[in-house]
Amino acid sequence: MTLNIDEEQDVSVTKGMIRAEFNFWVGIVMDKFYDGLQEKKFIGTKCSKCGKVFLPPRNRCGDCFAKAEDFIDLPETGILKNFTVTTYKISERKTRNVKKDQIVGLVQIDGADSAMVVPVININPEDLKIGMKLKVVWAKNIKGDPNDIAGFEPIGGV
Amino acid sequence: MDKVAIVGFYQVKPGLDIMMSPYEMLFEATRGALDHAGLKRDDLSTVIGCNNDYYDGKTISNCFKVEAGGAYMKDESKVEMDGAHAMMYGLMRVLSGNHKLAMVYGISMPSCFPYESARILETDPTFDRPINILNGYTAGGMQMRAYLNAFGISEEDIAKVAAYNLKNAAKNPLALPEAQKTNISVDEVLNSELLSAPLRKLMYPVLCDGVTAVILAPERQARKITDKPVWITGVGHFNDTYYLGDRDLSSCSSMEKAAEKAYKIAGINDPKSEINVAELFGHTACEDLILAEAAGLADKGKGLSLINTGKLNPSGGTMAGYTPAANGLTRIVEAVKQIRGEAEGHQISGANKAIASGQVGFCAQNNIVYVLEGGE
Amino acid sequence: MANVQPAVISAGFCEHASKRSDVNMAELVNEAVEDCLNKAGSVEWKDIDYVINGNMPAFEGANMPELWMTDHMAAKNKPLLRVTTGGTTGGSVFVSGYYAVASGLYDMVLAVAFEQQSCGNTTVGLASVALGELSIYPSLGYEATRLRRNMGAGAAIGVASYQAMNYMRRSKATEEDLARVVVQNRRNAAKNWWTHLKMPTITIEDVLDTPYISYPLRFGMVCPASDGACAVLFTTEEKAKQIADIPVYINGVGSYANEPAIIGVDCGGAGQTDPCEQLGAVKSAELAYSQAGISFPNKEIDYAEVYSPFPNQELQWVERVGLFEPNSAPEAYLNGVTALNGEMPVNCSGGVNSTNAIGASAMERPAESALQIMGKAGNQVPKTVHTALGHGWGGAINLISHVVMADEPQRKFK
Repeated sequence: MTLNIDEEQDVSVTKGMIRAEFNFWVGIVMDKFYDGLQEKKFIGTKCSKCGKVFLPPRNRCGDCFAKAEDFIDLPETGILKNFTVTTYKISERKTRNVKKDQIVGLVQIDGADSAMVVPVININPEDLKIGMKLKVVWAKNIKGDPNDIAGFEPIGGV
Repeated sequence: MDKVAIVGFYQVKPGLDIMMSPYEMLFEATRGALDHAGLKRDDLSTVIGCNNDYYDGKTISNCFKVEAGGAYMKDESKVEMDGAHAMMYGLMRVLSGNHKLAMVYGISMPSCFPYESARILETDPTFDRPINILNGYTAGGMQMRAYLNAFGISEEDIAKVAAYNLKNAAKNPLALPEAQKTNISVDEVLNSELLSAPLRKLMYPVLCDGVTAVILAPERQARKITDKPVWITGVGHFNDTYYLGDRDLSSCSSMEKAAEKAYKIAGINDPKSEINVAELFGHTACEDLILAEAAGLADKGKGLSLINTGKLNPSGGTMAGYTPAANGLTRIVEAVKQIRGEAEGHQISGANKAIASGQVGFCAQNNIVYVLEGGE
Repeated sequence: MANVQPAVISAGFCEHASKRSDVNMAELVNEAVEDCLNKAGSVEWKDIDYVINGNMPAFEGANMPELWMTDHMAAKNKPLLRVTTGGTTGGSVFVSGYYAVASGLYDMVLAVAFEQQSCGNTTVGLASVALGELSIYPSLGYEATRLRRNMGAGAAIGVASYQAMNYMRRSKATEEDLARVVVQNRRNAAKNWWTHLKMPTITIEDVLDTPYISYPLRFGMVCPASDGACAVLFTTEEKAKQIADIPVYINGVGSYANEPAIIGVDCGGAGQTDPCEQLGAVKSAELAYSQAGISFPNKEIDYAEVYSPFPNQELQWVERVGLFEPNSAPEAYLNGVTALNGEMPVNCSGGVNSTNAIGASAMERPAESALQIMGKAGNQVPKTVHTALGHGWGGAINLISHVVMADEPQRKFK
């Protein structure tokens, strides 16, 4: 599969790769990950040696240098490991202050050993707590690309 | 490790917009370093440059820096990381015995390129880059939160470090004029704009144009060239994984390993008491503390005490003006000046053993640290 | 100074193709690293204590991609250095691998070079080599029409056709001579497993039948744009003897820089007036030969891999590095001297003309030379190879890498 990114617009899917000025093949395991997003499902990989689970998936474990190509379905929930709040938007061309708070979270999906940097939504920055439970919010139009993850919100509201 | 010395150096006075072409700026530095060591270009046998194609907006950016960098008909190469990494390659070349005199320079002109945008290109192109919320600001913000939470430190403490660095910069004649703030208060730092909470603008360095060059020589040649050689007695270099979720951001394991290795080579057992000066390349005021703790200069979470002793970044560190690709070399040159007793205005008396570091990557992923010593 | 003799014990490749769309950059690199480690006998990834990598940064549009790819090239919790010098990147990475061991600081060094050109637009990237300086030309009184002509010189084909014209004027080589080089390369490539353009039945007529891209170079003479990676493992003489059947000792390295060709800095420098003269290559070769104790390269060297995306360059480089007398290379190719079973086989791997993953290409040259000495090359020459060279060029044809290897170490003169 492929993804297409325009600076001002949302990500859109064309065939085969991520377009961010340049195109990037997403590769063996990320292809599966994006297929999973299309079904509103997280698919990670598991290290064949130490059993660590990676989401987003990678096909090699850095600690064992062993293959991590066994796919594993993961839940939609996770915990907030770290977060920051910024009003800046940095694109591949410029840095802008959009004067609007955007919460960036480091979210570890339950059952995974790695975390991903994703937006956190539907919460006031003051209510954020490290370790709080979050759940994914899927985008309205699922296309099988990174923008399918609209963000993560607290479970049961705050 | 055989003895290799830094025998000459030159740092171009940085500027927000230096009003020179990159080649003029580079020539000033390389010529300056040769003059400082009292050498001719002919004496050089190898030149290692450090520049980045994205920062220079040009593919193969070193191929046009051959003449100004002094590399015409010299054994030339380029490292595309930080100046301190380029010095590692220069050091390897001298240690191999193939080369007797190596020039290393680092150069970039942030006035001509969007640095934060160039860092976006460092992110994982299959996930982080299309989502586009991981960048220099947010990584710095998360790192600072991790540090504050892990050790119960307040934002005010980090503001103290920033103010300390900016005050030190005011004493450093080669600091960026815009970063020299003699009378800055902690409140001023705490009231500056939020870049990415809790990271604030005055805890983040100001980008500036600049070049730094150093000349390396093995022992026999070094003693003939200068009366005040500064010896590289230890070096450590380590790289951590890219994924922030896999790392403990409140500390820096690659710096810990690098420092451990450098101290082992240099025969340093107690860095706390033996190291007089530390010029560390921290990307934020908070990272300065994390790196200093990782380097064993203070216990974990107790890095703040270093600003009372004054041995952390007497030049102002990265906060004195940040030139990507050159900053690590600038830190090394500052440490060398301290050992030679030539740090005008910010000299630490009796400094004889120093460390200097360079890094690349988000939250200091790849660190390199040098132990520098004076005397015999 | 450290008196360490570096040696190559293993070289790995991934399969090269115009579009490796099945893998991302990290996975592509991983294939080469795995191949290299698999062929390295008892060496495990944990034994590696230094990792060096490089590619052409602006081609894929990723800045310092090795930071992200750390886990895929066994570099987690190890030192990782990035060396890039344009077309010579692979060669420069190879040379830095040599120095990492020669310095005495590290004794098991992995060097990786790669390119996934299908991710970007190479010609746009290359044009910026020349066009980066363009903005100031109008202020120097350059006319728009002259400016456009300079743009043509920007991409590699522009430089290469100037070079070809100069070479053909000097040596009286014909287009047929150029085509002959292409035929030899692509037929060789057909016998090597990892190469890109495999053409076992190509003839000189086939090549001359294709249209001109830039006179005198035709479409059929130009290298392809490939995706690929190469990894090489370096260690000390002592360890190499324990690990490898035939360790390959690196006896000489040189990487002299010349002035950029075509246009000088800010239009101020003279540049190289004759881009086929190549003083840098001559001096790099001299330095490497002197370190390796080689006095008569044309007799002492058994095998050569030179970096030649364009056929005229292959003729030119084999002369400049001292394997043939000036202007005599076309005749040598005609007489089969450089063929697989000739006296001086050149580019039996298929060369850059058949496979060009730019960042990796200059490393694949010494890597293939090393494999020929080990007797493990994909297209192994029948004679025993004792001494071989690997050469690379890059930048505005002003950067060179030159490596001389042998099955016997050359003690350094201190």
